[in-house]
Amino acid sequence: MGILSILLLTPLVGIVFLALTPSNKSTQIRFLANFFAAVAFLLSCYLVAIYNIGDGGLQFEEQYLLNPKLGTAFALGVDGLSLPMVVLATLLTSIALLASFNISNSVKGYHISILLLQFGMLGVFLSQDWALFYIFWELTLAPLFLLIGRWGGVKRHAASLNFVLYTMGGSIFMLISLFAISQYMPPHSGTLMSAMSEAAQLMPREEQVWVLLGFLIGFGVKMPIFPLHGWLPLAHVEAPSPVSILLSGILLKMGAYGMLRAVVMLPEATLMLQTLLVSLALIGIIYGGVLAWRQTDLKAMVAYSSVSHMGVIMLGIATLNQTGIFAAVLQMTAHGLVAGAMFLLVGLLYERTHTRNILDYSSLVKVMPRFALFMTVTLFAAMGLPGTIGFVAELHAFIGGYQQWGNLMMLMGVGVLIGAAYAMRTIGMLFTGPVKPQMREIEDLRVYELIAATVLVGAIMLFGLWPAPLIELSAETVTQMSNIISQRIQ
Amino acid sequence: MDYLVVLIPLLPLIAAAIIGFGHLFDKIKGREDEWITVGIAKAAIYVSCITAIALLFFDLLGQNSGAYSVGQWFASENLIVEINFITTGFSVVAAALFSIILVVITRFSVNYIHKESGFHRFFFTLSLFSSAMFSIVLSGNAAGTFIGWEIAGLCSYFLISFAYDRPVAAINATRVFVTNRIGDASFILGIGLSFFFIGTINWNELNATAELLTMPTATVISLCFVTAAFAKSAQLPFTPWLARAMEGPTPSSALFYGAVMIHSGVFLVILLRPIIEQAPLVMGLLVVVGLFTAIYSFIVGLTQTDVKSSICFAITGQIGLMFLECGLGLWELAMWHLCAHTIVRGYQVMTAPSLLHYVHGNPMKPVSSSMANNRWLYIASLQRFWLDPITDRALVRPIRGLGHDLDHFDKNIVDRAMGAPKSSGNAISSLNQLEQKILGTRPDYAREEFVRSNGVVGKLFEWIANGMSWFEERLVLRGIGADSVNIGQKLGRAANTFEQLILKPRYLVLFVFVVLMIAASI
Repeated sequence: MGILSILLLTPLVGIVFLALTPSNKSTQIRFLANFFAAVAFLLSCYLVAIYNIGDGGLQFEEQYLLNPKLGTAFALGVDGLSLPMVVLATLLTSIALLASFNISNSVKGYHISILLLQFGMLGVFLSQDWALFYIFWELTLAPLFLLIGRWGGVKRHAASLNFVLYTMGGSIFMLISLFAISQYMPPHSGTLMSAMSEAAQLMPREEQVWVLLGFLIGFGVKMPIFPLHGWLPLAHVEAPSPVSILLSGILLKMGAYGMLRAVVMLPEATLMLQTLLVSLALIGIIYGGVLAWRQTDLKAMVAYSSVSHMGVIMLGIATLNQTGIFAAVLQMTAHGLVAGAMFLLVGLLYERTHTRNILDYSSLVKVMPRFALFMTVTLFAAMGLPGTIGFVAELHAFIGGYQQWGNLMMLMGVGVLIGAAYAMRTIGMLFTGPVKPQMREIEDLRVYELIAATVLVGAIMLFGLWPAPLIELSAETVTQMSNIISQRIQ
Repeated sequence: MDYLVVLIPLLPLIAAAIIGFGHLFDKIKGREDEWITVGIAKAAIYVSCITAIALLFFDLLGQNSGAYSVGQWFASENLIVEINFITTGFSVVAAALFSIILVVITRFSVNYIHKESGFHRFFFTLSLFSSAMFSIVLSGNAAGTFIGWEIAGLCSYFLISFAYDRPVAAINATRVFVTNRIGDASFILGIGLSFFFIGTINWNELNATAELLTMPTATVISLCFVTAAFAKSAQLPFTPWLARAMEGPTPSSALFYGAVMIHSGVFLVILLRPIIEQAPLVMGLLVVVGLFTAIYSFIVGLTQTDVKSSICFAITGQIGLMFLECGLGLWELAMWHLCAHTIVRGYQVMTAPSLLHYVHGNPMKPVSSSMANNRWLYIASLQRFWLDPITDRALVRPIRGLGHDLDHFDKNIVDRAMGAPKSSGNAISSLNQLEQKILGTRPDYAREEFVRSNGVVGKLFEWIANGMSWFEERLVLRGIGADSVNIGQKLGRAANTFEQLILKPRYLVLFVFVVLMIAASI
């Protein structure tokens, strides 16, 4: 059994242990869940340590035949695109568990669901077989449905239903696209990603466009791209904050990750749809930003800012050049950290004040100086200030986009400006102004929360000041991907 | 033994980080925790000092190779910035000397600052400053030196405004900081020009290629660095900042302006000796500025009535002499002068508060009568040659006027067109609002006020935002989200009805008949 299987099985083993623990022993349950999440995180760190950055292809491959009739296999592997996501997934799960100490009803079910969610997410990023990918993709829905529907806010039922319907609706299109490609596969040859992308070359151009549109809807719902984001504000606002961290930190990246894989599979079709993709990306950037600016609910603000930031990923993918794809990969990590930190902090604030309305806050810097420090750095990263990881990613997107479309990138500039507007206003309204009586006695961050926040904000700053390790991790894979694309579209 | 050099700036930096974060996270606070802060700061600087002395020792034994590189910080095409250090020569001597002074002053401050508010803040800044100073003297490239240069300036800002609740302290700190920025700007220009002309910012490589430089190039580059040195070492015309800097607590004055930081300008000039020697014009400038500063400081120093000010002018005078020596080519002498001055002046400034006690019964000698009768000189000396008012007239006032005009333009024209950002505080502005606040109802217009903008661009943005918000509410959230659920429910109910109907026996029988008929017809 390879390292990837062990990593993938860790949350499952955790679930088994949790299932055997009596549900009234909540301390024990919390410890077990945190322990297994930490083990998974350490394993993924070990994976980074032994990963060969000079090789852009798949590493640590494992393959067992699952269904000899169809040829589907249990195939795992990582490359420079999925490795950062795997680390992010394990890291954010640990953070989310650290932030879940105030969940008090049905602790056992909650922690099992979170570990199941982690299992699904890791599966999505590790699997190298489309059938397996699809299974894990759908597997994430079940725990999320429970987590939002059971531990969420007032409108949790509507939110969880809405979320599942949207995602299921999208994944049907993805399934159809996969079927369409498998028509061109030799019989019984399985659904390996590498094999499928060779089969995709045999398809006629028009059919490729339809297939890509299917993928666009399937992954676009999750990402989300502009008109398909209807589930996101509601789900983010209603979900408990640890789940929001996972939802925006990793679940959205699954969409972007799938989209990148699909684009490498179908570069010709992407070239034909390039105008559509870039318009959706730019509309998403501005639309998300403007709506974030209008929200008085802090969580809704962060949710819409996610729409805006995922637009940057879409823009990077749409450029089809190396810098752009790099931008997409970097922004995936950047947004994972920034959105994770933002939801973590907003969630902690909500626990203390029981209001998310930004108009209720004032002068928090006096009572919560540490919170103010972390929140300000995170909001700066969200607006892409140099010295934070957001800047590195947005700069790549800007350069890649400029190579492709030139002055059209002015619109992205407008998006960045709007981002600065809502980030600065939030900082101003939260931390400055006259002292309000009801905001006079709020506790600052506690130890567990400090650890969680320090890790995320530290990573944001570290990779902002010294992005070289992050870039080197994916450099080879991105070069390989862009070589494939540029060969095929000529 | 080159690797030792890394520890020297790193340890105080770690100490500063521990104290800073500990204080921020409330782990170190109040008087009972003073020993923790002191322990950390002292341990770091002691070990740094021992390391620096060891490094000097190995250098004297000839075991150091001259440079030590930790790795690459970043690279962009030809510009490669490493984290590297110099491990031989005057840099190491200066580091060892400064580290001893730093140890003494750190120990001295423990009692001096004891029980003052801002105790932890002081030691945080002190440790950070120690790290910055070592970075200045030991860094092997201009970028590293510049980082130290900037942090040292920032620390001096923090310490001058140590009692930040006193407005004078804050004003003086700002003034000093801004004056120093002139030097910083020319430093950064110097870095840029060295890269442009020579293609490297590594000190050793710069100095090695100095002989190949043409005179104009060497002049321009060295002029930039020399200006930076003048600003940092308070030479003419930057001298007045030093007197203002004496506002801070005595140990910090001793450290920054008596012993250590003030010498970094001279140190920079000595470091760049090969380049400056290629530029006779700059050598001449060093002579002129050094000489005039020395004369100026001597004359002004005669009329000072408090200890700190007279020491301050004595310092600039001595440093002027060092620049003079450099300009005349007496580099060795300048190095000795620097080291000796560091030690003597450090002691003198630290004992300044008790100076009156020591000189009791030993009055100062009066000034010679020929000089004392020169009234014009007396007035000029008292007014410190009007340097501050001249800078105010020549620089501060025109800039303030320009700022005022631009502000006027901004408020009346740009802001009206673009929309001014509202003050973020949502303070109570009217009695009505106060009443509603007391009654506990949030006025509805607060929500509207939140999304309101002003100015042409602001209005445009507001309308776009309103439109998008309507689109989102109506179509995306309600349309796709809720409506699809409703339609689905209706369809489901219809399907249910159909199912119920079809399961009734009469329809089932009918259905079987239809199937049979179709089968028969085939």
